[in-house]
Amino acid sequence: MKKLIAFSIVIIFTLCVALQAQWAKVPPAKIPRTPDGKPNLSATAPKLPDGKPDLSGIWQPLNNRYVQNIAADLRAEDVPYQPWAKALFDERKTGAHSKEDQPANCLPQGVPRIDAAPAPWKLVQTPGFIVVIYEAFNLWRQIFLDGREPATDAPPSWLGYSTGTWQGETLVVDTKSFNGKAWIDQLGRPSTEALHVIERFHRKDFGHLEIQITIDDPKAYTKPWTVTEQFRLLPDAELMEDICNENNRDLEHLPGSK
Amino acid sequence: MKIKVAFLLMGVLLLSVSLQAQWVKVPPAKVPRTPDGKPNLTAPAPRLPDGKPDLSGIWYPDSKYIANVAVDLKGELPLQPWAKALFEQRKSGALSREEPTAHCLPQGVPRITAAPWPWKVVQMPGSIVIVHEAFSLWRQIYLDGRELAEDAPPTWLGYSTGRWDGDMLVVDTRGFNGKMWMDQLGTPTTEALHLIERFRRRDFGHIDIEITIDDPKAYTKPWTVKEQAALMLDTELMEAVCNENERDLEHLTK
Repeated sequence: MKKLIAFSIVIIFTLCVALQAQWAKVPPAKIPRTPDGKPNLSATAPKLPDGKPDLSGIWQPLNNRYVQNIAADLRAEDVPYQPWAKALFDERKTGAHSKEDQPANCLPQGVPRIDAAPAPWKLVQTPGFIVVIYEAFNLWRQIFLDGREPATDAPPSWLGYSTGTWQGETLVVDTKSFNGKAWIDQLGRPSTEALHVIERFHRKDFGHLEIQITIDDPKAYTKPWTVTEQFRLLPDAELMEDICNENNRDLEHLPGSK
Repeated sequence: MKIKVAFLLMGVLLLSVSLQAQWVKVPPAKVPRTPDGKPNLTAPAPRLPDGKPDLSGIWYPDSKYIANVAVDLKGELPLQPWAKALFEQRKSGALSREEPTAHCLPQGVPRITAAPWPWKVVQMPGSIVIVHEAFSLWRQIYLDGRELAEDAPPTWLGYSTGRWDGDMLVVDTRGFNGKMWMDQLGTPTTEALHLIERFRRRDFGHIDIEITIDDPKAYTKPWTVKEQAALMLDTELMEAVCNENERDLEHLTK
């Protein structure tokens, strides 16, 4: 099993595109600097004119373990599976079903897995909504801050419907109306269409973002459970185009049936 | 041939997702209104605090250009001989299975702008993001003076930079991979493509896009077409994941 997992991680890394030179004559980033001119990533987090923290920037997971195992920092008993979900997870984590994992088929990672995908993402914050553009599969997601709510009959989706509210310095993002097909991580933790994801975005300082993620899916888990992931700012990079269908070589190497 | 093209077009339309109800309690859009309270789509285009036109909004193209980007062009496309031969073959429908979108590959620029899906412009001082409903793809346009590196990896959507020429946003896009079919007929491109899009928000509800195709490997001279898009109020983009339920390929000519 370990070999299979290690293998699938290698594949994910191979999939992500290196940050090669794309641009020339890029104006220097407007960021706080230390006296020697280096980016001061521990400076205070910036704010917008309305006093809200500005989460804008290009972010990358500080480490890549959560895409493989979202509960890497938890004890086994901290993930309270429903019996069927435990059985399914135990089967998936043997690696025997890797062919069914959605990114192997160029389907979206879903939320929150796409946050932890090794590829960076760019958050663009406007007064009424946030757009997150992901290098992973060139997908995007919106987070509405204008008080709207997802309709009860909204068509199910991979990335869900996200709305955000500010609680002090923390942006609390609720996401619902999932299609229930996403594996929450490479090990294959299941989700259902009852999934409600709560992400708490907190920009700790200029260069660091923390996201506390609560998985509330009563069909798959007996109670909500929470993990915390860390992200670092990439001040001098840009996203690249990443088209999974372009040259997908995963599927032929993965075990299982589609 | 006409039947095949019509069929292909149908496939694309079936793929596109209808604008069902997704949201409730949506605050009313901030739009100019006529005395009777209806949106006034012919009001002047809005401006940003820096005086530049604000192109932000959800736009829906006149989708006739998805079938044939040169539909309004007088005369023939100035194709190089090899490109003409390829285009004739593609037009016959015999190569439909090679068409990139049939494989859920990106439409490319400018085709994605004319695809029968809406797109949302998010305009900031230093850059613009366009999120497309089509295949849930995004594109960025930099307004900060940067230039494309010579060895930038080739792409479907290219690398876009923009500058203002009066009220017109002039967007240059290069660094293409040369694989794009510019329309369903198969109007060809190469990696030499340099695309110039001139966006002008004519009034509150309408945007004109003048598109120049400068690809000396495929064409003997640059050529220009004009497309239009209309503002969509009171709606939002949906998720459109092509790999989810792709049904085109099995029906296309082998």
